[in-house]
Amino acid sequence: MARIEQEKPAFTLVEVADDPSMDAMLLAPPLEPAKRRKGDIFRPGNGPMVQFQGVIKKYDGEHRGLDGVSVAINTGEFVFLVGPSGSGKSTFIRLCIRELRPTSGNVIIGGRDLGELRRSKVPYLRRAIGCVFQDFRLLPDRTAAENVAYALQVTGHSRQEVRRSVPAILSLVGLEGKEDRLPREMSGGEQQRVSIARALVNQPRLLIADEPTGNLDPETSLGIMDLLLRINRTGTTVLVATHDQHTVDRMQMRVIRLDDGRIVRDAEGGYNEDPGDTGEIA
Amino acid sequence: MRIGMFFREALRSIRANAAISVAATVTALIAVFILGAFIPSFMYVRSAVDAQKAKVDVDVYISDNASIAQVNALKGRLDVLKTDGTIAGFTYVSKDDALRLMRERLRDPSVLDELPSNPLPAKFNVQPAEAENANAVVAAIKDDPALDPTEGIVYPQTTADRLLTAAKFVQWAGFALIGILLIAAILLIGNTIRLSIFARRREVEVMRLVGATNWFIRWPFMIEGVICGLVGAVVAVAMLWGIKVGVVDAWASGADTALTKSGSAATTIGFPLLTLVLVGAGAFLGALGSGITLRRFLRI
Repeated sequence: MARIEQEKPAFTLVEVADDPSMDAMLLAPPLEPAKRRKGDIFRPGNGPMVQFQGVIKKYDGEHRGLDGVSVAINTGEFVFLVGPSGSGKSTFIRLCIRELRPTSGNVIIGGRDLGELRRSKVPYLRRAIGCVFQDFRLLPDRTAAENVAYALQVTGHSRQEVRRSVPAILSLVGLEGKEDRLPREMSGGEQQRVSIARALVNQPRLLIADEPTGNLDPETSLGIMDLLLRINRTGTTVLVATHDQHTVDRMQMRVIRLDDGRIVRDAEGGYNEDPGDTGEIA
Repeated sequence: MRIGMFFREALRSIRANAAISVAATVTALIAVFILGAFIPSFMYVRSAVDAQKAKVDVDVYISDNASIAQVNALKGRLDVLKTDGTIAGFTYVSKDDALRLMRERLRDPSVLDELPSNPLPAKFNVQPAEAENANAVVAAIKDDPALDPTEGIVYPQTTADRLLTAAKFVQWAGFALIGILLIAAILLIGNTIRLSIFARRREVEVMRLVGATNWFIRWPFMIEGVICGLVGAVVAVAMLWGIKVGVVDAWASGADTALTKSGSAATTIGFPLLTLVLVGAGAFLGALGSGITLRRFLRI
């Protein structure tokens, strides 16, 4: 079973070319690689982009979020974080953007120990990380273009820069001509593209997606995953939490599997490898 | 550039949340209106009480049998009181003056023509420097031989005491009421803005998610609060102006002669100054209300 999966060609753009909105993406210019910018909160160096050291996160009472997680994700990797609901995927993601703080252990992002990050610096951390969520989290009374523009305004870009960058990034995610649509006037896939455009517009070096395809049909999901893959090819580290087995199996990337707050598997391949595989962690 | 953007953001959110913006504006209007009606009333009452305090006169009646020397001796004692500052001044009212004043005051002065002789005694009208000094004046001259045996010294002792108590009460009650009004207004506006922010909690979450600093989120909300406060204050001032011109001024001009006769020197705050105070209060209430309310939504 595992063999067959691996013999299949890795996920390619051609597979989703029949999705009409993908045509635009294929024609779109390649993404510019992320650069180190002024005010960048990440420390330079070749260390891992994401590093968890014995991270335990306990919520009130008995319910456990993470139970001793140690893992490193290197710069430029594309990693799936999988596991059943309640396994700790969302806790992992929320620790990365410091929406939560660990009960014990260290979370180190871009060389910065988040435990030592001052509260006033948290907005700068979030600017350096692009975030995409299952429920899109768009501002409801703003158009696609305004939603993307907001992320630029936050980082102090001028109006001219906003006017120049926003249409370019929207056409990159296949949304040209839909700049003035409100979120409620767009399909789920289109809304997720807006949220990816917003995550990308500040050229983050780490892109985190929490169930980005959870509300989308399989066809649209492939389009979104392809977009994330393209972003990864520009050097951006991409971390995707998902329980979408189909997509994970197709892409054959590194998969970190969580169960009950522990990492039970960390290997390249599909969602469910047979026990006894090389990647199994006892 | 950034200020302009914050203003655009504030105006956008006022438009997008029209119902709540109207509610906040009306709340500010009511608060400022009550404040605007209360401040001049309070200042008028205070000034009226002060004016009455100044009018606590002591009438020292002179016996018809007193000799000129005795009257001069009494005048000498009053001069001493004036020199040491107990009294502000005194005037002599002769028997003829007293009759003339009486004649002016009566509706039908002809009754006085029936009198065989002038029954009114002469008097010194003494103005104490402070209303509190009236008792000291009485104590200083109550044994004077020139005093009229029946009338003696007449002054409104209970009135003076009550006025002093009333003045203190008006002052403290006024300050307390203004304080309570301000707190109530801040809480009211804060609550309305909380409603607005609660409706947009998700929006604030998203803003934080894309890395907006707390002040970047806060500024548009505070500008929004100030705009609502200002608009409410301006409408309240317009309403107060209408009431002042249409009701208070009309009533005052009708009652003008009566007020002048009673010699009331009571004044109150001028309208331009009141406008300035109220508009400032509106902006302050709006900014403070939204600033305080946002705090709990911006904890990271």
